[in-house]
Amino acid sequence: MQTLYVSQQGCYVSLNQELLVVKQGETVQAEVQLPLLEMVLVFGNSQITTQAIRACLWRNIPIAYVSRMGFCYGRILPIERGFRQLARYQQQLLAVERLQVARSIVQAKLRNSRVILQRQNRRRSSDTLSLAIQSLEYLIDKAGEADNTQRLMGFEGAGAAQYFSAFAECLEGNDFVFAGRSRRPPGNPVNAMLSFGYQILWNHLLSLIELQGLDPYSACLHEGSERHAALASDLIEEFRAPMIDSLVMYLVNRKMMDVLNDFEYKNGGCFLNNSGRKKFLKAFLRRMAEEIDTESGKQPKWDLLNQQVKLFKQFVYEPSRLYKPYLIR
Amino acid sequence: MLFYVVIYDIPCDKRRRKVFNLLEGYGQWVQYSCFECVLSEKKFEELRRRLKKRVKLDEDSLRFYPLSKHTRGQVETWGVGPSVREFPGSVIV
Repeated sequence: MQTLYVSQQGCYVSLNQELLVVKQGETVQAEVQLPLLEMVLVFGNSQITTQAIRACLWRNIPIAYVSRMGFCYGRILPIERGFRQLARYQQQLLAVERLQVARSIVQAKLRNSRVILQRQNRRRSSDTLSLAIQSLEYLIDKAGEADNTQRLMGFEGAGAAQYFSAFAECLEGNDFVFAGRSRRPPGNPVNAMLSFGYQILWNHLLSLIELQGLDPYSACLHEGSERHAALASDLIEEFRAPMIDSLVMYLVNRKMMDVLNDFEYKNGGCFLNNSGRKKFLKAFLRRMAEEIDTESGKQPKWDLLNQQVKLFKQFVYEPSRLYKPYLIR
Repeated sequence: MLFYVVIYDIPCDKRRRKVFNLLEGYGQWVQYSCFECVLSEKKFEELRRRLKKRVKLDEDSLRFYPLSKHTRGQVETWGVGPSVREFPGSVIV
């Protein structure tokens, strides 16, 4: 099923019979078939007419208002969707079920990181890479046996340390120095890109979780709190390496980012500035719009996120079938 | 997901317009009074239910041809007009 992403600024979405018409000025950018639509995401400043909103509400199509950085301000849902039975089921998940899912999420994260390194290793092999690949292999096994979340997080941390030390090897050229992951604040341009990328992805996942009516504060791997939407943090793990890390690698190795002009230093950290953010977002959106083969035909990569959120929803309804994280090949 | 060819013959302009508008939401207009739709069973059911309300069966005629994957691959199109309908994906503007 299809999602409508209105990412350009100044669009005007109106209703015409069974179609949503997206106009920018006088030009019609898209006509989307309402009966086949699943949700609408509006990034930044675009308008939707009341008629169009009402038509969406009638059909149970949620509309989410998201900032250009991916932060979800809120959503429009029909009243009927508002009952939180799903959230109640979520709270009733057993500790065992949660642990099993947490394990497979960590394993998937480590596996995906390993695949990214393996790809690099095929291009340009090095001892650091082979070593990291081996230890990731070992940690994947270990994570499968972890009997509580603390230990699981331990394996995950060890895996991340191994992975990022090898990640540095994959960056070509002398402009971008990367000694290891630093965050809050990110210490150098590479970390700035990683942090920004994760942030957009995290926010997007949070919006999708909200749209599916799941409770974002109840999760499996991460400890939720009233301020931390742990479920988004759970679901992002499997996507970090394939969606953000590989993008950063691509931007650095293709010399698409300018280390002097695309970053700014403030508050003791390094951040993307206006031009850098624009470049990064553009590349990110282009990559997420690439079509790939999925179970429901050719879909943009965006859809993978939604697919995983729906799989998690299925898990909540039927815990015995467990959650299957996303694995790249 | 099945591929449906929907054709209609409706003498009344008003009813034809209504049927056209509805079908536009579910498929692709390929010729005068001919649509191609790729629909799940549920959506096809919904389309038929909604269509039924907009036609008069003692005056109008509608036909629905489902095509299997195999036959669909053998569809030929000649001349002008849109290409054969694919499964509709997400839209990014």
